[in-house]
Amino acid sequence: MVSLGSERATLPEMLVDDGYLIERLRTGDDTAFEELVDHHAAPLLAVTRRILRDEEEARDAVQETFVAAFRGISAFQSESRVSTWLHRIAVNCALMKLRIREQDVDALLPHFQADGRQDPSSVGWSESAEEILQREQSCALVRQCIDQLPEPYRVVLVLRDIEQLPADVVAEKLQITRDNLKVKLHRARQALRTLLDPHMRGTMLAA
Amino acid sequence: MTCIELIAFLDAYVDDELDANTRGEFDLHLLVCPSCRAYRDTYKETIDLARGAAEREEDLAHDAPPELIEAVLTSKSRHSKS
Repeated sequence: MVSLGSERATLPEMLVDDGYLIERLRTGDDTAFEELVDHHAAPLLAVTRRILRDEEEARDAVQETFVAAFRGISAFQSESRVSTWLHRIAVNCALMKLRIREQDVDALLPHFQADGRQDPSSVGWSESAEEILQREQSCALVRQCIDQLPEPYRVVLVLRDIEQLPADVVAEKLQITRDNLKVKLHRARQALRTLLDPHMRGTMLAA
Repeated sequence: MTCIELIAFLDAYVDDELDANTRGEFDLHLLVCPSCRAYRDTYKETIDLARGAAEREEDLAHDAPPELIEAVLTSKSRHSKS
């Protein structure tokens, strides 16, 4: 069993160790697999939770990720980072489980007067994103707002703006055109902005 | 240009996908419309917040649930034998 509370390698150490870890995995070293799981399970679970919003399915996706990694270790390109490789597999495993229900987003889009002016007018937020992200309470609120997005828009925003997958990859995985993806992403960002707006205008989240 | 036109193509503006002439029209509207300036700034901030809040979540995700680790290792043993 791995030591869950063990000291974690810093990022540069992990990069240096990636090659050695992969070599040991390829030779069937069980402790290497335990190290892989110990280092990467938690961040991968965050990714699959974000996509699936279902704890049990998110855990299943992580489990399948490591099994797929174990089976596919010979295909691993040594110039890649292990974390990037696992991230790609985890996104795939999560998407395999995802069932997207069509939901409307119109109520969260901006409104306009007949002459094309915004109605109501927009006002700026009281703090920069950098300042807001300093507080865990605010980060949690942002994540809650993302979870409130209608499903097809939430998924597109997570895959493009958060997981930062290329547009053609996301379009293919969601089986939509690139133009449709672009429209959905823009609407998703606008809808998230609408959800965040009442919280970010004032100082209610300020420490 | 009106607010509705600017906001309809704001993603292309933010992602720097507009030709120079269209971008100039956007900039001109932004110069005279405080509401659209606020919308553009908060739109960009929204993208930064979504990404930043997720990164913070991963930074804090130090330990996976022990039962998940167990399940992964058991599952791997099963696949090793098969």
